[in-house]
Amino acid sequence: MSWIREGELNLLERLFANILKAGPMPKHVAFIMDGNRRYARKRHVERQEGHTQGFDKLAETLRWCLNLDIHEVTVYAFSIENFKRSQEEVDGLMQLAKEKFLRLLDEQENLRKHGVCIRVLGDLTLLPDDLQRLIAKSVVATRAHNKCFLNVCFAYTSRHEIANAVKEMAWGVEQGLLHSSDVSEALMSQCLYSSRSPNPDLLIRTSGEVRLSDFLLWQTSHSCLVFQSVLWPEYSFWNLCEAILQYQLNHPSLQKAWELHRESQAMQQLEADRSCVAELLHHRGNGKPVDSQARQTALLRYAASREERVRRFLCTLQQKRDAFFDHMSGPTLDGDKAAKAKEEKTAKGKKGANPAENGEAKADQAQKVEATADAK
Amino acid sequence: MALVYEFVWRVLHALLQLQRTIITWLRVHVWKWSGRLWKRATAALLVSLALGFPSHKKIGTQTAKRVSRRVRLRTDEKALEKLPLHVGLLIVEDDHQYTDIANLVVWCMAVGISYVSVYDNAGVFRRNNSRLMEEIMKQQRELLDPEKRRTSLELISHSSEQQEPVLSCQTVVKVLSPDDGKLSIVRAAQQLCKSVEQKERTSTDISVPLLDSLLRESKDIPDPDLVMKFGPVDSTLGFLPWHIRLTEFMIHSAVLSLTGGQEAGGKACSRSFRSALEQHSRSLLTVNSPGILVNGFQCLNAGSVLVSSSSLPSHKDVSYEDFLSALRHYAACEQRLGK
Repeated sequence: MSWIREGELNLLERLFANILKAGPMPKHVAFIMDGNRRYARKRHVERQEGHTQGFDKLAETLRWCLNLDIHEVTVYAFSIENFKRSQEEVDGLMQLAKEKFLRLLDEQENLRKHGVCIRVLGDLTLLPDDLQRLIAKSVVATRAHNKCFLNVCFAYTSRHEIANAVKEMAWGVEQGLLHSSDVSEALMSQCLYSSRSPNPDLLIRTSGEVRLSDFLLWQTSHSCLVFQSVLWPEYSFWNLCEAILQYQLNHPSLQKAWELHRESQAMQQLEADRSCVAELLHHRGNGKPVDSQARQTALLRYAASREERVRRFLCTLQQKRDAFFDHMSGPTLDGDKAAKAKEEKTAKGKKGANPAENGEAKADQAQKVEATADAK
Repeated sequence: MALVYEFVWRVLHALLQLQRTIITWLRVHVWKWSGRLWKRATAALLVSLALGFPSHKKIGTQTAKRVSRRVRLRTDEKALEKLPLHVGLLIVEDDHQYTDIANLVVWCMAVGISYVSVYDNAGVFRRNNSRLMEEIMKQQRELLDPEKRRTSLELISHSSEQQEPVLSCQTVVKVLSPDDGKLSIVRAAQQLCKSVEQKERTSTDISVPLLDSLLRESKDIPDPDLVMKFGPVDSTLGFLPWHIRLTEFMIHSAVLSLTGGQEAGGKACSRSFRSALEQHSRSLLTVNSPGILVNGFQCLNAGSVLVSSSSLPSHKDVSYEDFLSALRHYAACEQRLGK
């Protein structure tokens, strides 16, 4: 599988993995895969080669995560800010993405066998149409899989994600599905692109930079942050173990802090509900005092109706999102064929310039006869 | 077999904790001692220079420290090439020392930092706002020149009414809690949804700039450029999630936790911030110094390099040198902003 490298850990790695697994393990790890360009400079190769090596390293890291029983990984592949890069580099990255998603579609059987679910988080409308369609096809094809989850942040920034979540809630209010008083931290979390994933336990950034660069700012508020100086294409199994050890050392404090936060969240929700109920009773009661029993009953009833309203809204939101991907992944008559022909042409041109490729066919499913055996 | 692995895991973690304790003890008893000698020598020299050389008066230690510190603050302000506009002091420790926090705030003022935020995830400083303010005023009197003191400080307290800005204010200090983080985003979202409910706007009007303007409130305080984290927990613990998208963090590295972590309580000495942060800024490919496990990792993976130790063990007894080094590190950072 090109997205997850085949293979097992060696004896020493397996031994250390078993030792690590005796302690608390992160269930969801996020990576900021930084350092591809610096790696390319260091190795005196083209930038594009650096990015390709970076993808290969991702495949290897996903294999290690599976070996360590980490079943959810989120990666920061392309930020909205990265559109500021040179057109050549942006085009190169888009082309790399297209090639990888095309290959992913070729490997659907393998993905089904391993139960890999691919999700792409971001404002996909900013991407070229043909890439959007490929992404949508990949997401739809793997939607039902549930053994491991790979979330790829593409055309993503956390602020856009948060603003989009607010927009979705406002849309819910417009549609009459929600009241503005239903807005809460829990509902916000459910409206983010990452709503189907738990918060990351561990966030790793490579290349020595010590900032978050607009990545999962909401979701990582209580995550263990590990900044490592190694460049992403040079990442090793031991770097990953180092980060997990760091997580394990922080685990008790993080648990405690998260519990404190949850308690505070629950208190805030209760206060909000009480305030809404007080207002309702005031309007209904016409100024008459209400006994505490009636107030308590009204509170429970209100909370139940709020939860039901929120559940229906979230269901509708999910259907809206699924419909977007279903629509994008459907055939588009001539546009689709033209796009595929264009991709092949570009892929053939790129093959000579990109020595990192294995020489396997990059052609799409319909054009496999074009493959040459340019093996390394 | 599972029991064996668990036993080895416990031994491994015990070793890591032991390593941390040893390094911390070394910092407290060896490096601090040698640092103190250096400081005394420098103080003596600076005092002489400040008061005129030679001085026949016998100057008390406290006075000498204050004078030397004031002289130092003046020169350091000029020496820093790039200053963060807004520094966040993130305290992730259970024990809170108001004097040490006040020192940090006053040092920020002295070197010319315009905005300082103080945060802890339990909201302790927010609840004891007035105590912190008093401590800051006290340290201001101790450490700063009279002329600097007059113009220095605006303290923003959420518990009191909105203050009028001080006209010649140089530094704005905010005391924050988790309510200023996710909860403030939720409140802004509620406000926007309410305006949609009342047909004052539509959902399509909602954008990043609109949300950003709501979250900035009226003071127009910029996002933190630098966060100095004090304590052993490697997390932001809810600190201003919206505002920290490009913030540089002074935070544990993985290697740090193996080789030279911090003590959660008691007197955690500070290794010189200056050398740690200068190292950190150069240290993209610097191999770290001792540590059983670090060397173990190096053997197992020769190609891997590890960040050198740059820690802010605790705000308790934090030294001015530590603080200054963090600023020097910040000056060396390069923000690519996506490019």
